[in-house]
Amino acid sequence: MKRQQSKAWMYVLVAVVVVVVIIVAAGYYAGWFKGSTTNSSGTCAPPSGGAIKGAGSTLVYPLMFQWESVYGGGTAVNYASVGSSAGITDITQKTVQFGASDAPLNHAQIAAAPGKVLTIPESAGGVVPIYNVAGVPTLNFNGSVLVQIYQGTINNWNSTPLQTLNPGVNLPNAAISVVYRADGSGTTFIWTSYLSLESSAWASSVGKGTMVMFPVGSGQAKNAGVAGYVQKTPDTIGYVDLNYALNGGVAFGKVLNPAGHYVLASVNNTASALKDANPTLPAGSGDWYNVSVLNAPGAGDYPITSLTYVFVYQDLSGVFGSSLTQTQAETLVDFLYWMVTTGQSYSAQLYYVPLPASIVGADETTIGSMTFGGSAVPNSCGSSV
Amino acid sequence: MKFDRSARRKLWSHTMTVLAGLCALVALIPLGSVIYQAVLLGGPVLSLSFLTSNPPLPCTPSVGTSCAVGGIGSAIQGTLVLVGLAAAISVPIGLAAAIFAVEYRGRFLGLAISFTADVLTGVPSIIAGVFIYAYFVIYDPSIVFSALTGSLALSVIMVPIVTRTCEEALRTVPHSLREAALALGIPKWRTTLQIVLMTALPAVLTGILLSVMRASGEAAPLLFTAFGSRLGFQGFNNPINALPLLIYNFAESPYKNWIDLAWGAALILIILILIASVLSRLVVGRMVRRMRGG
Amino acid sequence: MDRPTPSSPTPRGPRRSRHWGDLIFAGLVGLGGAGVLVLVFAILGVLLYQSGLSFRAFGWQFVIGTQWDVRDNIYGVVPFVSGTLITSAIALVIGFPLAVGSAIFLTTQAPRWMRGPVGTVIELLAAIPSVVYGFWGLYVLGPYMRTNVEPALHRYLGWTGAFNGPATGTDILTAGVILAVMVIPTISAISRETLAAVPISQREAALSLGATNWETTRVAIVPYARSGIFGATILGLGRALGETMAVTMTIGNRDAVPTSFFSQGQTIASLIANELTNSNGPLQYSAIIEAGLILLFISLLVNVLARLLLWRVLRVTGGSTE
Repeated sequence: MKRQQSKAWMYVLVAVVVVVVIIVAAGYYAGWFKGSTTNSSGTCAPPSGGAIKGAGSTLVYPLMFQWESVYGGGTAVNYASVGSSAGITDITQKTVQFGASDAPLNHAQIAAAPGKVLTIPESAGGVVPIYNVAGVPTLNFNGSVLVQIYQGTINNWNSTPLQTLNPGVNLPNAAISVVYRADGSGTTFIWTSYLSLESSAWASSVGKGTMVMFPVGSGQAKNAGVAGYVQKTPDTIGYVDLNYALNGGVAFGKVLNPAGHYVLASVNNTASALKDANPTLPAGSGDWYNVSVLNAPGAGDYPITSLTYVFVYQDLSGVFGSSLTQTQAETLVDFLYWMVTTGQSYSAQLYYVPLPASIVGADETTIGSMTFGGSAVPNSCGSSV
Repeated sequence: MKFDRSARRKLWSHTMTVLAGLCALVALIPLGSVIYQAVLLGGPVLSLSFLTSNPPLPCTPSVGTSCAVGGIGSAIQGTLVLVGLAAAISVPIGLAAAIFAVEYRGRFLGLAISFTADVLTGVPSIIAGVFIYAYFVIYDPSIVFSALTGSLALSVIMVPIVTRTCEEALRTVPHSLREAALALGIPKWRTTLQIVLMTALPAVLTGILLSVMRASGEAAPLLFTAFGSRLGFQGFNNPINALPLLIYNFAESPYKNWIDLAWGAALILIILILIASVLSRLVVGRMVRRMRGG
Repeated sequence: MDRPTPSSPTPRGPRRSRHWGDLIFAGLVGLGGAGVLVLVFAILGVLLYQSGLSFRAFGWQFVIGTQWDVRDNIYGVVPFVSGTLITSAIALVIGFPLAVGSAIFLTTQAPRWMRGPVGTVIELLAAIPSVVYGFWGLYVLGPYMRTNVEPALHRYLGWTGAFNGPATGTDILTAGVILAVMVIPTISAISRETLAAVPISQREAALSLGATNWETTRVAIVPYARSGIFGATILGLGRALGETMAVTMTIGNRDAVPTSFFSQGQTIASLIANELTNSNGPLQYSAIIEAGLILLFISLLVNVLARLLLWRVLRVTGGSTE
């Protein structure tokens, strides 16, 4: 009796295992688990069998998601949106082949890296103040008001400074609930850099960084977390990349620029901000910490605009040793070339700024300086450009 | 007077019964709410292609546009791979430890193992993730984010559960059975494997099922290991997605299609786990009845 | 009950092969057993090693430090220990009466047909993954707390000072309530087990003296099961202390000591989830690992305590804690 029942159980178990294996195998051959391969990837053809990992910035994630879905049939690159600080940590600890961050490496981070790190700006975007106030589809902000909201000194939506900036808008008598990033974030870096520019009090008391002690508010993980939280929570204010606000359907405000205009962020006015700020960019192997395109001078420029970066090691075999294959090195370099050239065509539709030709040229020089085993890395993309 | 007092006592007794019943009722509200919400929001997105295709680009439909719905195929596959490998690692270890603790009991070591496993089941699951991450960052950074480390982190959670549940299963086997087998001259190892283990097999399988269930719902240990991926399984040294990880990543987002996907994934996960849970309880119940019935 | 069996009955069949088979088998299962023991020390070892940097930098200041200052690289664990303890306390205050009440109901008061099914359904609460509770907290519980519960608490209990600040529904109170939901099945299941283990004679004796149903429960049954219920509660506490996903999604993730139930806070587990791979440098990373070590110590302590209690009560095991 007992033995019989045990056997029956064995049969059930075996049957379940067999069914699962058949489904998975069938699915595998039917291509269920492959990435979508509908888009062409331009002229580049990555070598097969050298999938690479990248991690970091959530600001640029929607664009990276598009890139990794398209490039090389969608199976060559695996990008995880874990936050810019994580991107820097991961590349420093060699757990990924490229890191992405909206904050450049600081001096301590450059010193901590096990090899020469190259900085490759791969896109630019605007960080926007998102809010959730019922019946208020548009709001004006300026630097000083944003600073005071994030300091907690303006804590009600109908406070005088906000009313002054928004004549005729019926602002509710409700406490402002401030939202910031809980994880180390390049978006926080851009935001706090802007607040520091606008207020010396903020600069000295809180300062700028990927993780700072905000005087008030609650933290949410990632751009997506902040946008999602503000979207469903009344009376909140937060800051995210433009894509998250537009694609997520979250209201965001106009920001006063140095030329004296209230500007609602868009691809065009972040692109013109990048152009007008005209930053002098260091060499790829240089120190990028003080590069800033905030508060561009043009009349229509959106003031909270920033470049976002990819970090890679110059001497790939020297840093990764045997844990990185030649094929992976080729995929990495190939992907980088593709990203700064063909890949830029996906930027605008996702509300990111396509890189101007000058930065693309500088990036190509930087990518060209990467080596594996002491010599330049062969690739299919670089030669075609 | 006396009558009155007894009536009051009866009334009090009934009141307390109702109060205790209310406790049970209130305790059930969250379960009802969770399931209601998951069915309400996750139900509409379920379809065959939802179970097989990969996550879409993030998007929220505005007037005149629509978003790709996509699916959770890669996450389902990832969970199968992760939990499968984790089971392959933890079942032999856990079962061996359980056999040692039961069949070689009386020795201090057996008791120690049993107690340790018991305490280990209470170690927060995120610590398992931290442990594997912190170890592999030093040992081999190139595979920190991979299916392998994800499975290892899940095994850390599964081993003590398998040990404890299998231990209990083996304990339900009457001692007379062992003695009879040994008296027939059957060696101890064959007695254990062919008689004790086979007798306890349904309960052992239930224990393994419990640990698999627990592991398939865990996101915390996978945050720093499996890493997540759009794609399905791409080798054990590459990142992989899992249902709980997908839910965490998509739940907080503002994108309509990702939130829908997360509710669908939550519903699938709940269905799978409830089926497994009810199944295991039925089996255990039958086991217990059978043992009691002799 | 069990007898050590090396000196088993007279051998039959080939003595040698049996000897070797048994030896190899014992070795193999012993290896598995050793694996479980090694696991604990491996976890402790790795965490100790990785927290060295922080320990050398701060020493015991880490344990009493109330600042988690990323800018100046000074780290103290008090904000997270307090967040962990407060949310767990809320969980127990809400969860304990509900769990024990329902356990009493299901073992002594409920009609017999109801006991099994309802008990099973309450235990199903434990089967729902943490991340799904978090999702639910984000969309259902949080908004409900913000619009209904917290304004009411503020109105009636605001004078205590513990219910002040804006009601956001994303705070330690909401996290505590989610944890309560999650500890109920643990406490309830084991309480039921201990209550069911009370000898029938106890109950019959009380009933025969004319006690009502409730008096029987209160006088004869609950006191008998008291230490088991206590053990179950401690075990529930252990679960609450280390919960990660649901808490991370609802607590508001703020690296500061909470000042009210409406404050945003952070538990050790949510700190790890948010900041481990996001650290600004090796010192912060090491400090987070050290916080993890403290969480490990706390939960080991709590679990050892609970197990010792339950082992005594239930003699064999704590039963189904999953």
